[in-house]
Amino acid sequence: MKSLLNKEIRLAASPLSYIFLSASLMTLLPGYPILMSAFFICFGVFHSFQNAREANDTLYTVLLPVKKADFVRAKFAFTCFIQLTGFGLCAALTAVRMTALSPAAPYVQNALMNATPYFLAFVLLIYTAFNVLFLGGFFQTAYKIGMPFLSFGIAALVLIGFAETLPHLPGLGFLRTPAGERLGIQFGLLIAAALVYAVGTLLACRRAERRFERIDL
Amino acid sequence: MAILEVQGLQKRYPSFLLDDVSFSLERGRIMGLIGRNGAGKTTTLKSIFNLVHPDAGAIRMFGLSMPEDERAIKQRIGFAGGAVEYYRRKKLREIAGVTRTFYDSWDDEAYRKYTSAFSLDETKTPLQLSEGMRVKFSLTLALSHHAELLILDEPTSGLDPVSRAELLETFLFLKEGGVSILFSTHITTDLEKCADDIAYLAGGKLVAAKPLAEFLKENEQAGHGCSLEEIMVHYEKESLYEKLAE
Repeated sequence: MKSLLNKEIRLAASPLSYIFLSASLMTLLPGYPILMSAFFICFGVFHSFQNAREANDTLYTVLLPVKKADFVRAKFAFTCFIQLTGFGLCAALTAVRMTALSPAAPYVQNALMNATPYFLAFVLLIYTAFNVLFLGGFFQTAYKIGMPFLSFGIAALVLIGFAETLPHLPGLGFLRTPAGERLGIQFGLLIAAALVYAVGTLLACRRAERRFERIDL
Repeated sequence: MAILEVQGLQKRYPSFLLDDVSFSLERGRIMGLIGRNGAGKTTTLKSIFNLVHPDAGAIRMFGLSMPEDERAIKQRIGFAGGAVEYYRRKKLREIAGVTRTFYDSWDDEAYRKYTSAFSLDETKTPLQLSEGMRVKFSLTLALSHHAELLILDEPTSGLDPVSRAELLETFLFLKEGGVSILFSTHITTDLEKCADDIAYLAGGKLVAAKPLAEFLKENEQAGHGCSLEEIMVHYEKESLYEKLAE
């Protein structure tokens, strides 16, 4: 797996996957739907899949002394590596926003979502949607990336819309307080989202392995 | 002992059936898998490599079964589908640098020997190489982990006569070192220069799998022709005639 992950990074990955990690900085933007940062990080991963497809990465890899399932796991591992790096950056910036920057007027007057554990929970849910819809869809054919990404894009926009709406409902305003309120509930949501991410990604990976195994290359 | 055994291989597509293909290859021998375009050569090779799933049949290499022992088998074989068609914008050095990490028996000295013998410039990308040089790079990767069996899909197609001659010379050199080679082609003159055995596919069925000399002698005696080309034309024209007569 180490060799395959190394292969992903050195040969298959698009530089855009790393460049799009800078979308994490959107976490600091007031008056902007900051969950778009999670969408853009996934968009960066999408470019690696596009790049790999054009480079005949699948054929090269399955000829190596690996099983077809190893190829699938390596793609998931690379995706999680990028996503979790992005999550780490978002989490660090969220901490800054919730502490040192929380009294800043643009955040206090922010009509949209502020960076809180609730925001981070939805980052993980968007990642889960990518892993289930895009990666799962990709491994049905191992070359079609358009429809799986469109499915993910729609799901991501629905999730972002839902996440932005929820704090405006009566009694849920605490979800968008700049310094964070009722953190017990918010961290509970974050832990639940982390579980959804872990289980969803694992199940998506298992299903992708089965799908890819059935494909004649 | 047979280094490769293919038994009763069958693969059904909506418009094509590869039916009951069986042959074996001994250590240190070169086998040509011949047949016209669409005869089932690539399907056979891909089945051997577990790239397509046969509907029936068994494949064993070095006494191990595919796909159960896939990782162990792939450590000992090399596959080249003609010229390198992957990572066309990456430097050869980068591709080799990653490839080496997958093989327990990768030999840097062998890699340097083949890159030097084939005059490969590691700072170039596959995109900057000619077809012949890309085939040679593909072979270099396979040989640098001391592959005991090389499986090559039409390696001489698209090469100029000099490159083809060089490649066939390489095959003969490798054979002397005990490497077995199975390569598909429809360029029959290549086989006559280097193959010990042939497996001949026509319309998805195995016409013959035997030593080349024996195959040539039998067909000459039967009046099918003196060369592989004449024999192939004889078999394929017969089937075309039947189709037209229907």
